[in-house]
Amino acid sequence: MKTNKEKAKEISKKAKEKQKSVLESLKNHGAKIYEDLENGRFPKFSIPSRSVGNIVYDKKLRQYILGNSNALRSAKNSAQLRSFTQLMWLAFFANRLTQEKKSSTLRDVYYSSQAFAIEFEDQSESDNIIVDLEAVTSRPREDFHIFPEERSSIFGDLNIEYTIPGYEGKKMNLSNHPDGYSIGPSLTTAELVDTSAEIVIAIEKGGLFTRFVEEQIDKKFKSIIINTGGQAPRSTRTLLKRLHDELGLPVIILTDGDVYGEHIAMVIKSGSANAAHLRELTVPDAKWVGVWATDIEKYKLPTIPMTESDIKRCYDLQKDPRYESGIWKKELEVFLRLKRKAELEAFAKYGLTNITDKYLPQKLELAKSL
Amino acid sequence: MSSIKEKFNQISPSEFFYSNRDLAGFSNPTRSLYTAVREFVENALDACDQKGILPDVHLTIKAVDPDKPDPKPYILTVKDNGPGVDAKHIPLAFGTVLYGSKFGLKQARGMFGLGATMAILYGQITTNKPVIVKSSVDAKIQNQFEILLDIQKNKPIIVKHTEKEVAKKGLSVSICLEGDYSKAGNKIRDYVYETSLITPYATITFDDPKGQKFHHPRFVKDIPPPPTIIRPHPHGIDVERIRRMIVESQFEIPTIDDIMIEKVRKDLGLSKQSLSFTAIMAKAKKKWKNLSRQVRVVIALLSFLKMDFEKLSKIRIEDLDVPNKKLHYWDFGDSQSKTVDMDPESQYFKQLTNTVQGEPLTTFLTKRFQRIGPTTAVKFAEFAGFKPEKRMGTFTNQELVNLSDSLQKFDDFMAPDSSCLAPLGEEPLEKGIKKFFNPDFVAVVQRPASAYSGFPFIVEMGIAYGGDIKSGGPHVYRYANRIPLLYDEGSDVVLKVVNDTDWGRYKVKGDPPFIIVSHICSTRIPYKTAGKENVADRQEIERELRLGLQFLSRKLAAFMSKRGQAEMAKKRANLYAKYIPMIAEFCTELAGKKKQPNYKKILDELEPIETKPETKTVEEEKPIENK
Repeated sequence: MKTNKEKAKEISKKAKEKQKSVLESLKNHGAKIYEDLENGRFPKFSIPSRSVGNIVYDKKLRQYILGNSNALRSAKNSAQLRSFTQLMWLAFFANRLTQEKKSSTLRDVYYSSQAFAIEFEDQSESDNIIVDLEAVTSRPREDFHIFPEERSSIFGDLNIEYTIPGYEGKKMNLSNHPDGYSIGPSLTTAELVDTSAEIVIAIEKGGLFTRFVEEQIDKKFKSIIINTGGQAPRSTRTLLKRLHDELGLPVIILTDGDVYGEHIAMVIKSGSANAAHLRELTVPDAKWVGVWATDIEKYKLPTIPMTESDIKRCYDLQKDPRYESGIWKKELEVFLRLKRKAELEAFAKYGLTNITDKYLPQKLELAKSL
Repeated sequence: MSSIKEKFNQISPSEFFYSNRDLAGFSNPTRSLYTAVREFVENALDACDQKGILPDVHLTIKAVDPDKPDPKPYILTVKDNGPGVDAKHIPLAFGTVLYGSKFGLKQARGMFGLGATMAILYGQITTNKPVIVKSSVDAKIQNQFEILLDIQKNKPIIVKHTEKEVAKKGLSVSICLEGDYSKAGNKIRDYVYETSLITPYATITFDDPKGQKFHHPRFVKDIPPPPTIIRPHPHGIDVERIRRMIVESQFEIPTIDDIMIEKVRKDLGLSKQSLSFTAIMAKAKKKWKNLSRQVRVVIALLSFLKMDFEKLSKIRIEDLDVPNKKLHYWDFGDSQSKTVDMDPESQYFKQLTNTVQGEPLTTFLTKRFQRIGPTTAVKFAEFAGFKPEKRMGTFTNQELVNLSDSLQKFDDFMAPDSSCLAPLGEEPLEKGIKKFFNPDFVAVVQRPASAYSGFPFIVEMGIAYGGDIKSGGPHVYRYANRIPLLYDEGSDVVLKVVNDTDWGRYKVKGDPPFIIVSHICSTRIPYKTAGKENVADRQEIERELRLGLQFLSRKLAAFMSKRGQAEMAKKRANLYAKYIPMIAEFCTELAGKKKQPNYKKILDELEPIETKPETKTVEEEKPIENK
């Protein structure tokens, strides 16, 4: 066993190495542009195309990735000059953030640009440039200390050690606060030290997350509970991946019994088209255990009719290669047959703890066979 | 029967217009004030134009009682420096409807001077005040009249007549009428403003009832040549006009049948008597003054035939050969053609020469129409299928219809003589547009003369873009015979042509700041209504407008594309100048350098990069079709 001191040193060394490689990458790109300008050339670089046509599902990696098509962005093209400059500024800004170890949200970035007379029409424009930087460097924005506004949370017996400046080496157990801990930059980048848990349960909804904590699901089922707050944010998906990869914990996903719930599970498992340029956000082994369309019938859950957009979404997903087989295919078909959906809360019809007492154990058992 | 006749006589022209004043634009106090202004100002400008005097027109509108709410009585005075009206004509010219000097085939702002009398009439019926006319034709004596109209009799009533010594020529007309300046003011100011644009050689001043002065001094010193009165163009003629032209020139030889002979007998007072030739001639000489033209002709023929009525009824006149002084006739009794000589000294010979069958077709064409030479006349006769020497008097009704049709269809006539028209001219029009709008771009065109239904017309147009022009265009300034048309623009042919134009095709987009000036000159403008505010969409006029507008639009497109390229190049240069230094700044820190890269080189190189696409676009520009 390593001592705590040694561990802290190791952690700090790891973080420093990552920082160094991020900075190196930024410097290389900057140097190339510098050289172009110095030699009287209009700077340009190639950027993987993120258009729909260039996003393919990689069955081996079990996630969406970008194809081989690249776009050339040049400062000579007056139509690209503005976005070229925006991207250069962002690299410059990310460089400072990383060097100074300061974190920033997407919204911070949007407003920070104004200090440099860089114009963004709105935040979605600056968000888009951030994704460009990710694509160019093949690194998630978290590596540049840019994080989304946090909205998901975690609870369970998990010891972590912070790596962020001022907290390096500081430890925390994530079962100390009954409301759970919000998954922000410090948690996403923290060292995962040890845990007694044997499984991670990701739940779509905050209400159920609280119920699970109250019912001590963490203890009863030796689990870490994560509230994804709907579609899981990238920091949450990063953390899920790390829990799975670093601690060897299986991940199971509980969602509402509708087509969107099914897709929330799929994004955790195999990524979103929006982040196809990144490879560190997916948990291909994660298991979706419900609420399935077939559960609606099996458990005789109270339902609400599907809307037209629900139905359209079903048909859209049927065209997705990931939904071509297995339960993914089957459940979509049942949704389309029923034309009805059910929420996790629907189990309350049988009593408030029915979901934790009856449904969850059955599903955990089932997960082992999936 | 007799009562109907009496009633018919009672309706005088002024009576008719009194009860139909809406037709002439006197429908309400707002419109009436505006129309009255127009009529007097236009008369003043016309008077000066005809005599080649640079007009100086002063318009004043004053409220009789400024504190009263509108509508209320106003005194409208228009003063000019024109030739004035002779004292003896003043009562009739200003106190009768349908009296004036504007009859004839040439362009003038108004027709017949009707509108001014209408205004006077309207003033009188709304305020019961006389019109005050002051006129000096010699710059020495000014005649001053106060006149009321006797509407029923269409006759002037002179209330007062005085004379005064003056130093200036000119006419001043002043009427009191009910008007609504608060509503009509905008239109009147627009009218004065727009009139001064199309009459750049005139100085127009307007003192409005609120004490404001609008002064538009002339900015062109040359007055365009005055129009001349011309003969009609063959394309503008109909059967009725031809018939009248023939009648104007000669009379037919009457057919001498029993009815005719009976008429002659009756007119000579010989109902049953059978007189000898000599007795008949003596009787005719006595009664000559009371004889009709037809009877006189028969007597004249008789004088050479030397026959009595008995004999006369047995012959038929074949030909009256005036050049050879011979009269050919067919004698039924002898069944042979006979000839008698005519004495050219005889007074009866003269009677007959005046009455011959008229000019040959070719002479008729060359003499009575504009711009037809003998060669064209012969060619036309062949085209129409008539002998060139066929005399006009011998045309039957059907032949006249054929002649009229052929005149319309024959394409080899020269274009109508436009000397009867007075377009402003390209140069003054351009000067006016530049002065009024200070535009970035201006183009004007005067189309060659054309004709619709035989009335010659000329279209002049101008386009201006940018400068002081307000956005939201095209704003269309419509003129007809130098009159601005301000009402009813919706249904006007000019608006139709403008609205039909796809401006995007001429690189005019969005809310463009541009104006179109359209001036139609014609001996007769085909107004849609008696209010004279919109021009009907005659095919020929529409075509000329379209061609004129297309010509100008192409010029505008060239300007727009040049301007667009210049703007684009400037914009791009600015873009590089703004962003490249930023890129340099950011990459310097990223690369960990101390000194910024020398990016000036590429900024300097931008120049040739900019010009390349510009020349390319110019080459790419394709001429837009003419039709």
